[in-house]
Amino acid sequence: MSSILIVEQLSRIYHRHQPDEIAALREISLQISAGEVVALTGPSGSGKTTLLSLLGCMSRPTSGNIQLRNRNVSKLPERFLAQIRRETFGFVFQQYHLLRDLSVLENVMLPLYPSNQPLGEMKKTAIKILEQFELAGMMKKKIKQLSGGEQQRIAISRALVTNPEIIIADEPTAHLDSELSQDLLQILAKLNQSGKTIIIATHDPGVYQSSLIQRRFNLRHGQLVEGQSS
Amino acid sequence: MILHPGILSLLCGSLITFLVMLFASWLGVRILLRWDMESSSEEQLLLERKTWLISTLLNYALGFQVFSAVLFVFTAEDIHQLFVGAMCATGSLNANLVGWLVLLVKGILLFAAAFWVVLNRLDQRTEDCPLVRPKYLALVLVTPLVGLDLYLQWLYFSGLQPEVITSCCGSLFSAEGESVASELAGMPVKQSMLLFFLILGSYLIILVACIISKMAALRHLLFIASVLMFFVSIGAVISFISLYIYQMPSHHCPFDMLQANYNYIGYPLYVGLFSATLYGMLPGICQPLRKYESLQREIDSVEKQWLLFALVGVLIFLAISCGQMLFGSFKLLGY
Amino acid sequence: MLRQLKILEFTLSSLLRRKHKNLSLIAVYTFTIATLGSVLFLTHALKLEATGSLTTAPDLVIQRVAAGRHDLIPTKYAEVIKKLPGVESVTPRIWGYYYDSLIKANLTLVGTNSHQGKLDLLEGRLPNNPKECAIGIGVSKAFGPAIGDNLVLEDSKKSRIVFSITGIFRAESNLLTNDLVVLQEMALRDFFTMSPQLATDLVVQVHNQREVKTLAKKIKYHLPDTRPITREEILHTYDTLFNWRSGMMLAVAVAALIAFCILAWDKATGISAEEKQEIGILKAIGWETSDVLAVKFWEGLVISLTSFILGILAAWIHIFVFGAPALVPLLKGWSVLFPEFQLTPAVDFYQIFTLAFLTIVPYLACTVIPSWKTAVTDPEHVMRG
Ligand SMILES: Nc1ncnc2c1ncn2[C@@H]1O[C@H](COP(=O)(O)OP(=O)(O)OP(=O)(O)O)[C@@H](O)[C@H]1O
Ligand SMILES: [Mg+2]
Repeated sequence: MSSILIVEQLSRIYHRHQPDEIAALREISLQISAGEVVALTGPSGSGKTTLLSLLGCMSRPTSGNIQLRNRNVSKLPERFLAQIRRETFGFVFQQYHLLRDLSVLENVMLPLYPSNQPLGEMKKTAIKILEQFELAGMMKKKIKQLSGGEQQRIAISRALVTNPEIIIADEPTAHLDSELSQDLLQILAKLNQSGKTIIIATHDPGVYQSSLIQRRFNLRHGQLVEGQSS
Repeated sequence: MILHPGILSLLCGSLITFLVMLFASWLGVRILLRWDMESSSEEQLLLERKTWLISTLLNYALGFQVFSAVLFVFTAEDIHQLFVGAMCATGSLNANLVGWLVLLVKGILLFAAAFWVVLNRLDQRTEDCPLVRPKYLALVLVTPLVGLDLYLQWLYFSGLQPEVITSCCGSLFSAEGESVASELAGMPVKQSMLLFFLILGSYLIILVACIISKMAALRHLLFIASVLMFFVSIGAVISFISLYIYQMPSHHCPFDMLQANYNYIGYPLYVGLFSATLYGMLPGICQPLRKYESLQREIDSVEKQWLLFALVGVLIFLAISCGQMLFGSFKLLGY
Repeated sequence: MLRQLKILEFTLSSLLRRKHKNLSLIAVYTFTIATLGSVLFLTHALKLEATGSLTTAPDLVIQRVAAGRHDLIPTKYAEVIKKLPGVESVTPRIWGYYYDSLIKANLTLVGTNSHQGKLDLLEGRLPNNPKECAIGIGVSKAFGPAIGDNLVLEDSKKSRIVFSITGIFRAESNLLTNDLVVLQEMALRDFFTMSPQLATDLVVQVHNQREVKTLAKKIKYHLPDTRPITREEILHTYDTLFNWRSGMMLAVAVAALIAFCILAWDKATGISAEEKQEIGILKAIGWETSDVLAVKFWEGLVISLTSFILGILAAWIHIFVFGAPALVPLLKGWSVLFPEFQLTPAVDFYQIFTLAFLTIVPYLACTVIPSWKTAVTDPEHVMRG
């Protein structure tokens, strides 16, 4: 299978050349194939979120390279990183990060604003996604009126509305009970079947031990440790 | 004098822009000194973010320049009552000759700012930003011009003496005078029309050729034609287009047409002329930039748009200036 | 283009979402614009009033100058001027000022033949015997008398002279007739103890407007102790005066503007954590810095335009409906009778344009750096909550 992401000697150092310098990631190399589901695990502070943000083009590495489909993205200006974020990635954040005063539909439409789709079409795309998750009925509701599980599904809808190749999820089950976590895993499994690459950072054994995960990268102090890859 | 609302807002606005430009060039200098595309340091990231601030500041400054040029002419128009002998903006500008200089500097600034904004936009679309250094160097060079604009405006307005008896468009643009302006006004209509249509015709032909063909030489030609066309057209406005607009055989003023009496017809006329010149010059200016591969792609993708803008601009200009000639009741040439 | 429109739509909806937060800013902004606008509108309207009334002014007024000061002019000078080629008519005028200590105001007393332009009589008629007078509506309001009442004036010998009022004329759109009292010419000469050989000044009408200047020179040559004043000169004196006055008020208004800018800056820098978070989220899901800058630009523009329109309306109502109650005290120095006028609504494009320039440019300048600061929010922070 072809590699969608190739990471070479990736380091991320915060506050470089300052007394409080922290190396969050140290010379990590890994490859992720298209259509794979991988888990990043490791104790708190080990650098999972940092790695996710680099893979998801949220920030630039201090050194090393990231190849996204043969394109080196590690030195691109921010403007192009933003473009890659909205075209290639769908993000599901730990705290969902929905805009609380906006309606469900408006939230799902947000990633489409910088595109060339007209407003009407944006609405249609968003509704289609919401229908897939059986959320179309609460389209008009404000986010603050919804439960955590519903918010989670809306966050996933928002991540999918641009039809991204890669889904990035940081601790997606942190605020869910075990039943909802199972639902989530099913959703992710379905997405994977439709060809999406999925990268999940998690503490939750329920997630990284599930059959869905094809590979697992174990981080410790910003370095990969040979871990149990299933 | 200075407390006239129009003057006050011009001076305030120019002062603000000058300060903003100073700030922008200070940032620009820092970028010039420290910029390193290859570095992934935090500093480089901060500099990269500062470029957004600079481009926003300059977009605003360009917007300001457009409005300030209009306001300047407007104000000159408004204060003409203060001068005995002045009937329109020409009279006010004559009351203190620095006024013409202000107008010139404003024109140059308008073009300079527009070029900067366009090139900046191109550069921001590329991954490697090859124009970073030239851009900020240009910024640092333009800033004194903004200062000059402020200073000249100050000189102009503070030097205005209401007691001065000035000459107005009637005498400045009269055929008998000895200045360049009266030379223009005094030119035989037939010859100047011929020259005007010759230049405009060749501009149009080259423009259309550029739209069809990708040849580099055509772009250079278009650049030259645009510059020529600009000056010839300004001359033509004074020489005969104004006559048709005012329908009077000896009223050569280039400003009166901006007034409500003439349905503000001067605005589309000058906007058309400016955009025809600006967009006609751009492909030629960008020609040397094609050596950067990334820029070449961007230039190719917008060039057609520029040429179309130029075409629309020149057509608007022609429609307004010649519409009166063809359909108005006023006739200059007895045929 | 499409993208910009969509971003504008987003901006509008998020402004509505946070309307209470922006309301105070819009209120202060509106107030500032209304202040500035009132000043501009008022001075512009006054200027129009004055120039309007001066267009009926004579082509040329001849005064006599003695010891460098304006003096009464011999009526026989009229004969000399009449003989000059190009002169249509010469009329001696009799008029003067009268300070009334009771209402503490200056009245302008004019002889019946000496007033130029039409008097728009509201009621009654002009005086036709030496015991009668007609007054401007401003005078009638100040004194309170009506037709049939008496107007009592004290002459230079302190003796009181009673005139019965026969007419009241309008001063509505004509500043200069507001404080007028019209008397019969002989009565006025008596009142001012002016000899019949003298007049206040001479009014010259000319056949050809273009010759006014040459004629003025000729008169000066033949009668060296006179000072010819052309209409154009009067016009531009007025203009200078008005510009100066409006400038003074403008200075006050600009102070208000500066205060407003400080507030705008403060508002723009102090964005809430919630808003910052929101921008971070937008950037994380793929909005570019330029998109956020566009949001901020539209936001500024929408706020500016809303306040601008509201402010202009407020200024309009203040000046033309209520008669500028807040600004009149500033103009008081000019004439006590000043409040008694109704301005003709007149606003031109230039006024609006200047006002827009004067208010929107500083606002945008104040908000550009804060909005850039918001726009470059690091999306990575969003990953960590
Ligand atoms: N902006 C920052 N400035 C300084 N240090 C930071 C910054 N962000 C993260 N770090 C440090 O980098 C290291 C890795 O953090 P990261 O958030 O990637 O860990 P994590 O594995 O996601 O932890 P958790 O499981 O708690 O989410 C931590 O030691 C953290 O303190
Ligand atoms: Mg984390």
